[in-house]
Amino acid sequence: MGQFNTFLLKEWRESWRSFKFIWIPIVFILLGITDPILNYFMEDILNAVGNMPEGFATMMPELHAIDLLAASTGQFQSIGLIVLIASYTGTFSKERQNGTATLLYVRPISFTAMFLSKWIVASSVAIVSAIAGYAGSMYYTVLLYGKVDPARFMAMLGTYCIWLLFVMAVTVAMSAAFKTPIATTITIVLILIGSVVDSIIGGFWTVTPYKLSTYGLRFVDESVTMSIFWSTFILTLSLIFVFVIVGIYFSKKRASTVKV
Amino acid sequence: MEELANINWALIAPLIILQFILALVVIVDISCNGATNGPKWLWIIVALFVSTIGPILYFIFGRKSQ
Amino acid sequence: MTCIQVAQLTKQFGEQKVVDHVSFTLEEHTATALIGPNGAGKTTTLSMLTGLLQPTNGQIIMPGVKDIRGAIGFLPQYPQYFSWLTAFEYLEMTANLSGMEKRKVKKEAQKILEFVGLGAAMNKKVAAFSGGMKQRLGIAQAIIHQPKLLLLDEPVSALDPVGRREIMNLLKEIQQQTTILYSTHILNDAEEMTDQVLFLRNGQLVEQGSLHQVRTKFDEPRYKIQFVSSDEARQFASQSELVAKAEQNIVYADIREEKPSMQQLLHRLASSPYHVVKVERETASLEEIFMKVAGSDGTI
Repeated sequence: MGQFNTFLLKEWRESWRSFKFIWIPIVFILLGITDPILNYFMEDILNAVGNMPEGFATMMPELHAIDLLAASTGQFQSIGLIVLIASYTGTFSKERQNGTATLLYVRPISFTAMFLSKWIVASSVAIVSAIAGYAGSMYYTVLLYGKVDPARFMAMLGTYCIWLLFVMAVTVAMSAAFKTPIATTITIVLILIGSVVDSIIGGFWTVTPYKLSTYGLRFVDESVTMSIFWSTFILTLSLIFVFVIVGIYFSKKRASTVKV
Repeated sequence: MEELANINWALIAPLIILQFILALVVIVDISCNGATNGPKWLWIIVALFVSTIGPILYFIFGRKSQ
Repeated sequence: MTCIQVAQLTKQFGEQKVVDHVSFTLEEHTATALIGPNGAGKTTTLSMLTGLLQPTNGQIIMPGVKDIRGAIGFLPQYPQYFSWLTAFEYLEMTANLSGMEKRKVKKEAQKILEFVGLGAAMNKKVAAFSGGMKQRLGIAQAIIHQPKLLLLDEPVSALDPVGRREIMNLLKEIQQQTTILYSTHILNDAEEMTDQVLFLRNGQLVEQGSLHQVRTKFDEPRYKIQFVSSDEARQFASQSELVAKAEQNIVYADIREEKPSMQQLLHRLASSPYHVVKVERETASLEEIFMKVAGSDGTI
């Protein structure tokens, strides 16, 4: 327990003093509020920019609250995830590469404590960011488009946080196993490319972690199938567990590659 | 351009304020942490004038720290 | 009491044996210099002792110690720090990770920082530290948990003369508490603080023993006689039956099995017509011994 607290404090300080706890949530808020605001003013903007053909405004689909939340989720799923992955993909590999890990690895440390502390702090930043981002999106959505049931909103948010726990477990585990550029590439492929592939051909199956964000949104319009959701939830938790174990294993195995 | 003048600025103000804060965090970070990849003034300009993406680029690529 | 015993330590990277069957024993409260040219395997040897590298072969035994990592303090040649921590936070962290008792940590961290001369900079971030300050912090983090064995990789070679002097004095003080093994290629430093020397060359331990033993083995003592003029020197060198050579106004005379003795030499000089300025018996510096041990390819 002592080592875990020490590592947790170290990672916590790192994320605060590099301002990750500030700038990443701000980016998520910006991502979250851009779509509701932009869409609300779309008609005004189009009118201001040029002459729209008669009846164009009526051709634009009428947006509902769920559409805006979906648009914000799309932002988090692209730029948001890239920011999170890029911020934490060096958490092990950079420390080995620049030699800062040497003074830690020569001590009788627990790699389990080290890995968990890194994953927990990275996940905290991710979850704080998601809460901030969705809160911003929700605020403007309610203001401009209509009400969303708070309980359903919370269910969506909670579901998205499980997905983020998975994303950060993959990110930290890859950082433990590979050098930074390779870790970044693999994580981007696994998470972002994986999401895209799943959204294109994923109609053939229903249970993958990639679908968590979609199922989260389905809580809001009440179209979620609970049995499928729970299968997805349990699969994702299992995969998180697998990546944590793999990450701990590799963080230990790769310790000798630290620059002395 | 009359329509733009009629826009409810109170709605857009948080957007602008947040982007300003983000740029401010970049400037504070550059002045506190010292080392950057590439010239500091360039990053400050990028952070101030390229909204949202500018600060993101700085934190991911411009920051040099251990 | 034996502090650590190393037997047949070997590290192989592919075909290349970087450390090749190295064996030595360090007694408690001694200082040992690990000497060798760059690439001799000094850092690899130290890395294996710290547990950072797994040896291909061989044993490292510390009597009465289960996890060696807890009993060792290590200062790498270029210590890298998390620059966003303060010196105090750094020591707190490393003390905790080394398993120091919680209630002792804060007090010890403060004490050690004052000992290494960082008392005033305790709450400054490491990012603002100079090279000398970083080296002090490096020593502090290596001794905070009172290790039985302190390993230092080239502790002073990156410092300016003043910094080197200060760190050497610090190390001499620390040596009274613990056992020290340090690598160096600067032989003046080794000469200053050492009970035992280990010469590494191409991964092999080519010579070991106390400085005195090694010196007796490799030393070629000689007399250095300074005359007023180089003419006198040349004439003395050619006329005497000594094995001697003149270089300007100095004559170097070899000593073979303690012959001639100083008395004999002085006697001879007294009866000669030349004007002697100075006579002394020279012993080889560690540097010269090192060159002999390291052989012709022993570039420093």
